[in-house]
Amino acid sequence: MKKSVKITVSSLSFSYHDRKILRNISTTFTEQTITAIIGPSGIGKSTLLCCLNRLWENIPGSRMSGRVQIKLKGRQHDIYDKSYPVSQLRRQVGMVFQNPNPLPMSIKRNIAFPLKLAGEKNRALIEDKIEESLKAVTLWNEVRDRLDSNALSLSGGQQQRLCLARALILDPEILLLDEPTSSLDSRSSLQIEELLLNLKKRCTLLVVSHYRDQVKRIADDVVELAGGKLIQPQH
Amino acid sequence: MTTILEKLITGWCWFSVLILLSGTGFVLSTLYYKGMPHLDGGLIFGSTSPMDALLLKRQVFDGLFPAIIGTLLLVLLSISWALPVGLAAGIYLSEYAQGRVKLIFDILFDLLASIPSILIGLFGFSLVIILHRILDRLTPSLLISSLSLALLVLPYIIRTTQVSLESLPLETRLTGYALGATRLQNIFFILLPRSLNEISSGIILAIGRCAEDTAVIMLTGAVATAGIPRSLLSQYEALPFYIYTISAQYTDRQELMTGYSASIILLTLCLLLFGLAALLKKRLTQGQPSH
Repeated sequence: MKKSVKITVSSLSFSYHDRKILRNISTTFTEQTITAIIGPSGIGKSTLLCCLNRLWENIPGSRMSGRVQIKLKGRQHDIYDKSYPVSQLRRQVGMVFQNPNPLPMSIKRNIAFPLKLAGEKNRALIEDKIEESLKAVTLWNEVRDRLDSNALSLSGGQQQRLCLARALILDPEILLLDEPTSSLDSRSSLQIEELLLNLKKRCTLLVVSHYRDQVKRIADDVVELAGGKLIQPQH
Repeated sequence: MTTILEKLITGWCWFSVLILLSGTGFVLSTLYYKGMPHLDGGLIFGSTSPMDALLLKRQVFDGLFPAIIGTLLLVLLSISWALPVGLAAGIYLSEYAQGRVKLIFDILFDLLASIPSILIGLFGFSLVIILHRILDRLTPSLLISSLSLALLVLPYIIRTTQVSLESLPLETRLTGYALGATRLQNIFFILLPRSLNEISSGIILAIGRCAEDTAVIMLTGAVATAGIPRSLLSQYEALPFYIYTISAQYTDRQELMTGYSASIILLTLCLLLFGLAALLKKRLTQGQPSH
């Protein structure tokens, strides 16, 4: 069965202060696939991700023009349409950063944090969701006995999986990952890669990566950013 | 060349620390030698039994107990007024104000920070005169003093809140947003908890300032004898005011020495308040890395 288009980007340009970063980009991303975004440092790969969950709006000095349409819950949405609430968008389009960024609170509260933000009060549901998310990132067995201990006491790889679990707890349809393994050792990186391959079944993944090997291992599609434009990568 | 310069700079740094330490040591030891011999229960509670005084059964007329309570109440009240306003203004400046508005507020708060305390005292005094015409009962009192002191320490709290929020790294700021937090949720659940450490340092500074200031309170409600204040609208006694009057108007050496003893009590009180603030800070920021 042919997979349908999940994200449509049209005429997207982006500048930070007076620097043009993305120039008139138009592309599509297919659902339930892993698309790797590659290119040299500082070229705007992370910026492209931030345009898909409107996170750039919280970075002073940023300006964007163009259109981004995402199919969420079966319906096409123009995510920059004023009627579409940004917090709802970010609940559907999760993001994991380069450096693990658990909040300075317990493992349990970290994972449940997005639910708290969304106003979820049902304790039983929260407990179930925590367990489900931790299992999805294979962290459950490692932390089930110390859910109340500080998340910062976990190792780097565990922290990154925790962040992944936190991004997954709201069942996002899209997951944006900004070099998720660059601060991890090779064993933890492979663990994350395996998780991403499993997650493909439930969401569309966009991964910024510097590692050609990693891209070969996990990506279904590859796009390369150069000079503010998307080009077909040279193999 | 570089090594000589480096050595000179290091030497100067050490020398500066030495000056600071010896200055502090000199002040503390003078207070200790002059004030300690006169520091006893009699100085604090006078002829009243300490138990009766502490349980507020009997007023203390010839001791420092009312001044201690007065200072404590003054500090607590002033901080209670200044904290919500200061925090809100700091959050506004860091997270909401932009461009020219921010510039104007920055200048205004710098101006407020540079106003000498005697002028704040005069402002409080003028306020009483104006308000007295409307409300007959309103005279210089604990309420007016604490409001004036709150105005005095407001810039400390505003600035530390603003600076500590602004210094948070972009990644921390984006964490909450990426998880679907609204601006307010991001401020309250992510940014403020991460800044508590610095903000509480500002509060500690403010506590010290409230406890030691004399110029403001002598114009707005502190008197030599008042007993423990019965309400916010009563006049009150305060330790710095006592120290000031004793050192300006002492009749014999013995009386002057009680000024030193009162200074020791004031220092101890400040230490206790700092300890309390530090304890609160530790509990609130447990397990957090400082940024």
